[in-house]
Amino acid sequence: MTFIKDFVDVLSGSSISFLLLTSLFSFLIFFNLLDGRLRSKGGSVFIGFGLLFLISGIFIRPLLYLAIAYLVLMFLLANLGPRVWETRTGLIILVAGGGAFGLSMLDPQFYLIAAKPDNVPIVAMIFLLGFFTWVALRKAYLNDRQLLAGGIPWEKTESDEKLFTCPDLVYTEMLCMIVLTIVMIVWSMALRAPLEEAANPTSSPNPAKAPWYFLGLQEMLVYFDPWLAGVLLPTLIIVGLMAIPYIDTNPRGNGYYSFRERKWELGIFLYGFLVLWSFLIITGTFLRGPNWNFFGPYEYWDPNKLVPLVNIDLSELIWVKALGVALPKIWLIREMFGILFCLAYLGLPPLLAVGPFRRFYQKMGPPRYYVGTFLFLIMMALPIKMVLRWLFNLKYIVHIQEIFFNV
Amino acid sequence: MSRLKQLQQGAVNSQIWKSVFRVGIPNTNRKRVLAVLGSLILHLHPVKVRRSGVRMSYTWCMGGTSFFLFLVETVTGLLLMFYYRPTIEYAFTDIMDLREQAPFGIMREMHRWGAHAMVIAVWLHMFRVFMTGSYKPPREFNWNVGVILLVLTLLLSFTGYLLPWDQLAIWAITVGSNMARASPGAGTEGPMSGLIKLGDIRLIHAGDDARFALLGAKTVGPSTLLRFYVLHCVAIPLGAGFLMAIHFWRVRKDGGISGPL
Amino acid sequence: MSEQITPYQVPPKTPLAGSAAAEIREQGEISRRNFPVVLTTAWFALAAALGGLGAILGRFLFPNVLFEPVSKFKAGLPADYSVGEVDERWKEKFGIWVVRNEEIMYALITVCTHLGCTPNWLAAQNKFKCPCHGSGYYRTGVNFEGPAPRPLERAKIYIDTSDGQIVIDKGKQFHQERGEWTDPESFLKT
Repeated sequence: MTFIKDFVDVLSGSSISFLLLTSLFSFLIFFNLLDGRLRSKGGSVFIGFGLLFLISGIFIRPLLYLAIAYLVLMFLLANLGPRVWETRTGLIILVAGGGAFGLSMLDPQFYLIAAKPDNVPIVAMIFLLGFFTWVALRKAYLNDRQLLAGGIPWEKTESDEKLFTCPDLVYTEMLCMIVLTIVMIVWSMALRAPLEEAANPTSSPNPAKAPWYFLGLQEMLVYFDPWLAGVLLPTLIIVGLMAIPYIDTNPRGNGYYSFRERKWELGIFLYGFLVLWSFLIITGTFLRGPNWNFFGPYEYWDPNKLVPLVNIDLSELIWVKALGVALPKIWLIREMFGILFCLAYLGLPPLLAVGPFRRFYQKMGPPRYYVGTFLFLIMMALPIKMVLRWLFNLKYIVHIQEIFFNV
Repeated sequence: MSRLKQLQQGAVNSQIWKSVFRVGIPNTNRKRVLAVLGSLILHLHPVKVRRSGVRMSYTWCMGGTSFFLFLVETVTGLLLMFYYRPTIEYAFTDIMDLREQAPFGIMREMHRWGAHAMVIAVWLHMFRVFMTGSYKPPREFNWNVGVILLVLTLLLSFTGYLLPWDQLAIWAITVGSNMARASPGAGTEGPMSGLIKLGDIRLIHAGDDARFALLGAKTVGPSTLLRFYVLHCVAIPLGAGFLMAIHFWRVRKDGGISGPL
Repeated sequence: MSEQITPYQVPPKTPLAGSAAAEIREQGEISRRNFPVVLTTAWFALAAALGGLGAILGRFLFPNVLFEPVSKFKAGLPADYSVGEVDERWKEKFGIWVVRNEEIMYALITVCTHLGCTPNWLAAQNKFKCPCHGSGYYRTGVNFEGPAPRPLERAKIYIDTSDGQIVIDKGKQFHQERGEWTDPESFLKT
């Protein structure tokens, strides 16, 4: 039992599970939902990741754990194949997840955090998200099978059939309302709304957390300055969400569940929604303790935990560490490399347009392509900065304190 | 023909009943149509809907749930307003009293859990709409309205977070609102803001930046509480209500609950 | 009933001579050529008016007078503070740490420069540590770890010549990164 707890604690080091999920989704895009076999390209990417972890695991223990978890998952997925979408497997996953959660609740530290009234909805959200993701993908799988066999999606078989709103829809709605009302009343009687001490502007609680739905943003604050994590990126998230219907011109998959017809759209959206948004919220809620330090799910939240935070700027890394000279006085020269790096990153779209993304460029046309790839690159800037932080303790790529411009 | 049935018939045929529900019991197709058309609330729906649109396995009922939770929040919030005073002298103690002194004292609980549930429901609604590709033409605009409604839901919850005026509240809002301070060109700490100068005087400072507009002061204080209260109880709900009307209207105008074209 | 009454009549379709409508008729309609210019001007005027209205409404959010607690207070005599200590006696009330070393005294404002939480002074580790996102500052107020983008701010500090007491004025802050810590008002020589 202790071994399992250690295993989980180490594995959930945010960097680690993040990489796990990242690779899993890169894999899902290539994973052929229909026959459960790895496609040649996706398969090699996937196996490449596994090997990378395995080799690094020789030197770094957490990565060894990751490699084990990763290979087990790969093995399971590759062998289960379409059986993942059977109701029976779904039930097994649910029971296993619920069981693991129930067992974990026996651990006093886990219980302390998971049973906090304000965290209960987030526990519920984890299960709801898991459940609905599975439901949606299962339906997509069933429809894909039909489409591949030359059939029509299930929704289409019923779309011409019309029912009277009264009584069919009205009664469904009424039932939902009654059930919800009961849930709300029971929930409200069972759990007290939290109320802490009266506000005291001179002492911050430790940890001080934003409301849970903003914890993904607060987690981003670890990697980016507030003007990026708190202002620019949220704005771009909203803009990006609103731009989806205008960028995605794929006419298929409109009004029914499907994966094959919208692999890239679904892959990117699921990555953003489940990993960059929901997973970061879960990390911020359950795994960030005093001083915003990282704690595994069974780890005691020690307010005195010492985590050396010696982050270093790219300019210092290159000028001082690599070239062995002092930092130049003029910021333009000092930050030259960082600025070049950022410009090169944002300058990728035209290069990609003639390279690997040629297909998208031709299909979408220039305006859609450039807006879409720009938003995509901004989205990917978060995991990239995260990885850079874990690997090199990199604080800022560009650090111009003179005008508060830090990236 | 039991007594009960007679009584029911009598009630349904009475002038009072007929003046309210023009149609009577909707037991024929004609009456089913008229029941929807003749009712302000029911006529949010079309008369007939796709079979797949009625199935919970397709819609997950999350849009309706979001709306219902909005109504729950409105009602419970209204009740809370009878007891709550948005000043730093009273806010915290009023919340304490709500628990201890108000009869059936779970209104605050219901309001808070309802808010959490509403955020989750709105997310799942967006998730479902994406997974079924229902943002595609002709529903692009409605997806946009939905995104704004999602943002408003988060803002509603965020502004409500401050009102209990406890430690959880002010520090969450301090951290949250300090991000506004970092707005490029509009907050004191934002990039480029230092460049906006008149001679030697910085034009963007703690007394006039983006965070100040939100807080009504340089730090979270009495005027912040009042501003958030007004935003929470009046401004944002009105905006959300207006957009919801558009959202529901467009669901119908864009071809009803989504389904394959 | 000898008065004559004029019966009401349906007014004629064409404007009567001398009426306002007739005048406009006489001046002629806006010509085809002028129309786009007039229309554009009208739209610009409308946009400008709406913009002005928006600015006025925006300005409404910023009151002319701010009622804030006094930011200036007397902090006792310099002898009340021992050398090499971070004094926390004004933290609760005024949000100020008074630090004294061999040469100077200065007043640090207890607001983390990252997102405005209140850091804690950890004497054992000889640093200020913010509980929110883990920013750390040296005793001097200079940041060295965590996400804080710049050092803590100093408040104006001076001696009241009438009674020799220290006066701390939070109304004026000194930023290290702007080179303001060399300002004689930002510290006290002891």
